[in-house]
Amino acid sequence: MPTAALVEQLMSARRQLDFACDLLTKPSPQAVDCCSSLLEETGRHLAECQPTFSQQAGNAAALEEAWRLRRSYLRTARLLQGAADFHLNWQKLRGAMTGGYTANGESAPLLHSNRISLHG
Amino acid sequence: MSNLLASLVSSANALQAYSQVLETSQNNVANASTPGYAKESVDLYALPFDPQTGVTGGVAAGQVVSARDEYSEQAVRQQETGLGYQQQLVENLTAIQSNFDITGDTGIPLALNNLFQSFSAWGATPDNEAARQTVVQNATELAQAFQQASTNVSAQASNAEQQIGQTVDQVNQLVGQLQGYNEIAMKGNGDDSGLSSNMHATLEQLSTLADVTATFQPDGTVNVMLNGATPLLLGDEQYKISSGLYQPQDPPPTNANGPANVQILGSDGTDITAQTTGGQLGALLNLRNQILPSYIGDAYQAGDLNVMAKQLADRVNSELTSGNISDGPPPVPGVALFTYDATNATNTAASLAVDPSVTPDQLAAISPGPPEVSNGVPLALSALASPVQASDMINGVSYSQFYGQLAGRVGTDLSDATNNQNVAQSLLSQAQSLRQQYQGVSLDEEATTLMQFQRAYQATSKFLTVIDNLTEVAIDMMSTT
Repeated sequence: MPTAALVEQLMSARRQLDFACDLLTKPSPQAVDCCSSLLEETGRHLAECQPTFSQQAGNAAALEEAWRLRRSYLRTARLLQGAADFHLNWQKLRGAMTGGYTANGESAPLLHSNRISLHG
Repeated sequence: MSNLLASLVSSANALQAYSQVLETSQNNVANASTPGYAKESVDLYALPFDPQTGVTGGVAAGQVVSARDEYSEQAVRQQETGLGYQQQLVENLTAIQSNFDITGDTGIPLALNNLFQSFSAWGATPDNEAARQTVVQNATELAQAFQQASTNVSAQASNAEQQIGQTVDQVNQLVGQLQGYNEIAMKGNGDDSGLSSNMHATLEQLSTLADVTATFQPDGTVNVMLNGATPLLLGDEQYKISSGLYQPQDPPPTNANGPANVQILGSDGTDITAQTTGGQLGALLNLRNQILPSYIGDAYQAGDLNVMAKQLADRVNSELTSGNISDGPPPVPGVALFTYDATNATNTAASLAVDPSVTPDQLAAISPGPPEVSNGVPLALSALASPVQASDMINGVSYSQFYGQLAGRVGTDLSDATNNQNVAQSLLSQAQSLRQQYQGVSLDEEATTLMQFQRAYQATSKFLTVIDNLTEVAIDMMSTT
């Protein structure tokens, strides 16, 4: 694969990650679901490019783009971690508020009634 | 007749209740842009209805309930602290970076390169007066470049010290404001939404400055802790922090005259510097006590600028004093070119100078050998540009490379801080969005949403692991030449 084509592929992957970041700054369950599909696509995309990485050894332009992609990945990972921590801690907090604590001192699991919800 | 009256009373109650709801809605709209405000709602409840006993039913307004959730408020404050830290670091590192040119066009790298070139030119014409004069001139310029860099970095250290003092004052002032709010709350105004807005807005400002934890009490007052351990405010009692310079004594300092560190003290005099790692205050302390000393030294290290200045001066002086100006008899030995303050290892770069008594004809060119070489000294000195022997190197690399590493470190620190600042900004937006999403949401709704989130996170994290591996592989493979 020529350098320009690989750089373009990496840029495209980075744009997808940046879009995932935008989604994760307002993390609703739908946004995280959408983010999951985006990341799956990005992963598949990069896996397809992987055999050509070694052909670009020492290529400064490709390496620079790979670093940008890496930074976008790290930002995505931090945002996902941030949202997950927020919800996990809240789940624990709500569990403790509604069910108290278990014998091990952990907050009780969060119980919720089974409900049918209709969306128009 | 009684039925008619009952209906009228019931309707009047309902109107009163809805008027209260309307007032609350108006208050929400009016405060839509008020910092720290959280929307409120009125709980409506049904009144008993029993026509047999004349109980008229209807609706009445209950308590005004704030949608504020302290958990999500604390999450926002936590991200404010993270962003405050990175922003402060970026601001100060940007100023420091301007003192470390890596292009070679100015400052130490230019002066160093010029001096090495003049050694080389002197080696080609060892008896040439002009070549010797150029060596003295370029050595003077290099010494001035070291002095300039050291003075500038020291000025940054003083600036950081001043900023720490100002930030500590700001922290105390904001906590003082909160103390005032607590006093109002303690007089029975704990439910006042305006008071609560002011408290939360002040806490957000405080969070950008330092890592604070706020715990709200049932009476509406707030207790504030610094770094989760040092009390700043308990009820109506404020505990002021302070800052000052200190010279550590344990272990005994290697540079007793080195620049002192800045320390933060709790109200009881306890040293809380090591725990103060968050917000603008944490960044300034890191910069003042860790990053800057690595260049200009402190009680335990000389600092890279001083190490480089000393080693270069010693190496040049040692070559010049081991050579001869003339064969004699008797042979006339050379003199040292550079001087510096040898009593303080952290003052070498700032005091580096060319001995004003040295004249160009006192520079020794002859290496006595055996065998004697008429231009042995300038040749040895010009070898410092591309050293082969360990004695011509500093920490295993050339002087230019050592400086490049030093300057590169500032660049890397700044680049990391800039990236982290972008991430911190996104994390703050995320926390603010989550706070908005969860204001006033019922527990049942939340439980369902949390389950949905859990499932979505599990799926997403698998794909992230794949991308993590692939981006690392890409960088590893492309870095290989």
